[in-house]
Amino acid sequence: MLNSPSPAARADQTLSLNMKLLAHHELAGFGGLGEGISMQLTDDGRRILWLAHESAPKNFSGVDVTDPKNPKLIVQTELPHMKLRSNSLDVVGNLMAVAYQATTVGIKPAGVDLFDISTPEKPKLVSHFDCSGPHSRGVHALWFVDGKYIHMSSGASDFQPRNPLDDQFYRILDVSNPSKPVEAGRWWYPGTREGDTAPPPPRLPAKFDTGFRTHNTNVFPERPDRAFVGYIDGGALVLDISDMGDIKVVSKWNHSPPFNGFTHTVLPLFERGLWIVSDECVQDNGADWPKLVWVVDSRNEANPVPIGTFPAPPFDAFAKRGGRFGAHNLHENLPGPTSFRSDTIIIGTFFNAGVRVYDTSNPYQVEEIAYFVPGAPKLSPAGAIQLNDVYVDERRIVYTVDRFTGGLYVLELNI
Amino acid sequence: MVNAQRDPLAGKIPVTLITGFLGSGKTTLISKLVRHPDMRRVAVVINEIGEIGIDHDLVTMSSENVTLLANGCICCSVRTDLQETLRDLFARRRAGEIADFDRVIVETTGLADPAPVVQTLVSDTLLAAQYRLDGLVTLVDALHGVYQIEHRPEAAKQIALADRLFITKSDMASAEAVADLKVSIREINSGAGVALIVNGEIHPDALTNLGLASARAGHATLSFLGESLTQTESAGERYLGARSALHDTSIKTLSLRFQAPFTWATFSAALELLATLRGPDLLRVKGIVNVEGAPVVVQGVHHIFHPPVTLDRWPSADIATRLVFITRNIEAAVIRNLLNAVGAVNMPPGN
Repeated sequence: MLNSPSPAARADQTLSLNMKLLAHHELAGFGGLGEGISMQLTDDGRRILWLAHESAPKNFSGVDVTDPKNPKLIVQTELPHMKLRSNSLDVVGNLMAVAYQATTVGIKPAGVDLFDISTPEKPKLVSHFDCSGPHSRGVHALWFVDGKYIHMSSGASDFQPRNPLDDQFYRILDVSNPSKPVEAGRWWYPGTREGDTAPPPPRLPAKFDTGFRTHNTNVFPERPDRAFVGYIDGGALVLDISDMGDIKVVSKWNHSPPFNGFTHTVLPLFERGLWIVSDECVQDNGADWPKLVWVVDSRNEANPVPIGTFPAPPFDAFAKRGGRFGAHNLHENLPGPTSFRSDTIIIGTFFNAGVRVYDTSNPYQVEEIAYFVPGAPKLSPAGAIQLNDVYVDERRIVYTVDRFTGGLYVLELNI
Repeated sequence: MVNAQRDPLAGKIPVTLITGFLGSGKTTLISKLVRHPDMRRVAVVINEIGEIGIDHDLVTMSSENVTLLANGCICCSVRTDLQETLRDLFARRRAGEIADFDRVIVETTGLADPAPVVQTLVSDTLLAAQYRLDGLVTLVDALHGVYQIEHRPEAAKQIALADRLFITKSDMASAEAVADLKVSIREINSGAGVALIVNGEIHPDALTNLGLASARAGHATLSFLGESLTQTESAGERYLGARSALHDTSIKTLSLRFQAPFTWATFSAALELLATLRGPDLLRVKGIVNVEGAPVVVQGVHHIFHPPVTLDRWPSADIATRLVFITRNIEAAVIRNLLNAVGAVNMPPGN
C-alpha cells in the first residue's frame, strides 16, 4: 500500500466534477477521432452528430444523438486510401464540408468535399475542391457556418513555402454554388512563401518548431469582416476580410517565444472585448508543457493584451499519465441552432486531462467548474485518454472524442 | 445570442452538517453510514476516525487523515479545523491525490453551536466557491431531548437551525416521551421534517436534498422552506397549538407572507436592521422574496446571509413573498411591521 499511486495518477481511473457520463460509443472499433464535430438537425427532427476521424481508414461517422443516452451509429464512410485523413468538418443545414489532408505533399485527393446529407444515412458527394500540389498536403481544418464561405487552413498547388512546415495558410472558398466552389481570398504569413519580399519569420527552437501555418480560421456572424486565426507558431491573428481580395492584419499577439508555440484557436467573446486563445499540446509526457488557454483583452484591436490564463490541470497528476497533456480544442460558440453559446462558460479538451469547463465571469481569475476525465480506453496506444475535441449542444450535452480508440463520450453538464 | 450562464449553485459540492447534543447518537449514525453501500463518492468529515472503528479489511487506501473505504466512501478526520480540512479536501481532490467525491457530510462536535460552521461555509471565499451548504441535520435523543431543550441552550439552538431532525433511541423511550419530544421540537422549529431512527440505521439519501440545489426552478425548488411553506401565516400564537406549552423555550418559527413586491433596497434594509439590532436572536431566516417581480431566495443565520439567488422563474403560480424566521423573543408582528415600515419610508411621496 505504501507505494500505491494516488487515484488520479492511475490512467484507468475516471475523474469527474459536475459532469456525468450519459453514454459512450466506440464507433464500431474506429474510435480515433479528429477535430471535426458538428451537429445536424435533420428535416425529420433528428440530431445527427458528424465526426471526422483522426486517421485512415475511416473518413467520417454520423451518430444519431437525438436521445443522448442512446447514441446510434447510422453511417461510417471510408477514405480512398490510407495516406489521407479527414480530421475536420462542419455542417450548415443539410450541407457538410469535409477537409482532406494527406500524409505528405503531392498526394491526391487533398482538399475539400461537399456532401448533401439530407438523408444522413446516405451522404451524397456534391463537389470536390482540389487543394493538392507539389508542396501541399491539402486541408487540415475548416470553418463553415454561414452556408456561403468555407474558411480553411490549406495548401495550394501554386504555393511553395520557404520552409516545408509552413505549407498551410488561410484560404476562403465561396460555396454559394455548392457544386462549384471557387477561391474568394487568401492570406499567408509574410515571409513564409518562396518569393516573398518580407524576410522569413524567426523560428522557435527546433524542438518546438511546429510551423508558421494556420490552424483554426473562425469567422462569426457578429463580425463577418473579421477572421480569428490561430497561426500555430505565428500566434493569434485577427484579419480584416471585408475585402476578401485584399486581406489585412488588424491584430497580432504571440506568446512564443518564450512559450512553446502552437496557437490553435482564437475564440472572441464579442460583448466582453475578450479573446480566449488555446494552444495545442503536440508532444507526449509533458515535453512541451505548458500548453495553456489564455485570456486576452482585445478591446483595442491593435493592442491585444494577455490578462490571464485558465487554471491548468495539475501537472503532477497528468503529465506522466500517458500521451499528451495540455490544451487543445475549445467549443467555439458556433452560430447554428443546436450549439451552446456563452460569453462566460468555456469548455475545452486537454488530452489526458479530459474535458474541462471554466467560468470566465472574472477574466482575471478564471474558475474551473467541471471536468470529466475518462479512464484509459481499451487498446489505446497512449495508455490514457486523449480527448481531442468537444462540441456542446444547446441542451448542455457535451460530446467529446478520443484521439485514438475511445470514440465518443456523451456527458451531462451540471453547472 | 443565447448567452448561457452558470447556475450559481448547481456546480458546488453540497455539504450536510450533522449536529446533535452529546449522546444523541451521532457516532453510531456515522459509523453505520460510512459502511452503507450507497456512500460511494461521499466524503465524511469526522472528528476522530478511531471512534467509528473501521475494520482494516474495509480500507482500500489510506493516507494521512484520509481513508478510502471499499464502498468508495472517503473518511476524513479533521486536522486543524473544519475550514482547513474542507479546503484541503477540495485541493487534494483536484490534484488527484484522493478519490473524487460529489458530496460531503460533516459531523460536528456535540457541544458545538452549528451557527459558526454555517457562517464559515458562507463567508470563507474559497469554501463558498467550491461548496454549498445543503442543510443541517440534528439528532435528538428521545430519552433526554426534552430535558436538554429546557436546560441546554445549545441543544435548543441545534434544533432551531435544523433543516431535518431525527429522534434517536426511540426504542428505549416511552411512546409518550417521544410524543412530548416531538411537540417540544415543533414548538421551536415547525418547518423541518421530524423522523425516528433506531441504531443509526438510515439511508444516505435521508441526509441530502435539504437545501436549494439550483437556480433553475422546478417543482421541488421550495422544499427547502420545509413544512412552513404550506402553513398559514403565524400570528405568534399558532406554535402553541392545541395544547399548552410544556416549556418556554422562547424560540419559535414565524411564517410570514407578503403579497406586494419589495424592492431589493427595502427588503435588504429591513433585514439588515433586524440583523444589526437582534442578530443573536435571529437564528434562521429563509424564504423566497418577490423583488419587483423576480423570485429571489434568501437564507441567513444570525447576521450572516448567503448570497441571494435569483431563480430563473417562479416555481409555481404563487408569486407572493414567503419568509420563515426562527427567532428568540421576536414576534411575527414586529418583523411584519418592520418590513412594512421600511417599505413606506422607501416610497417616494405621492405614490
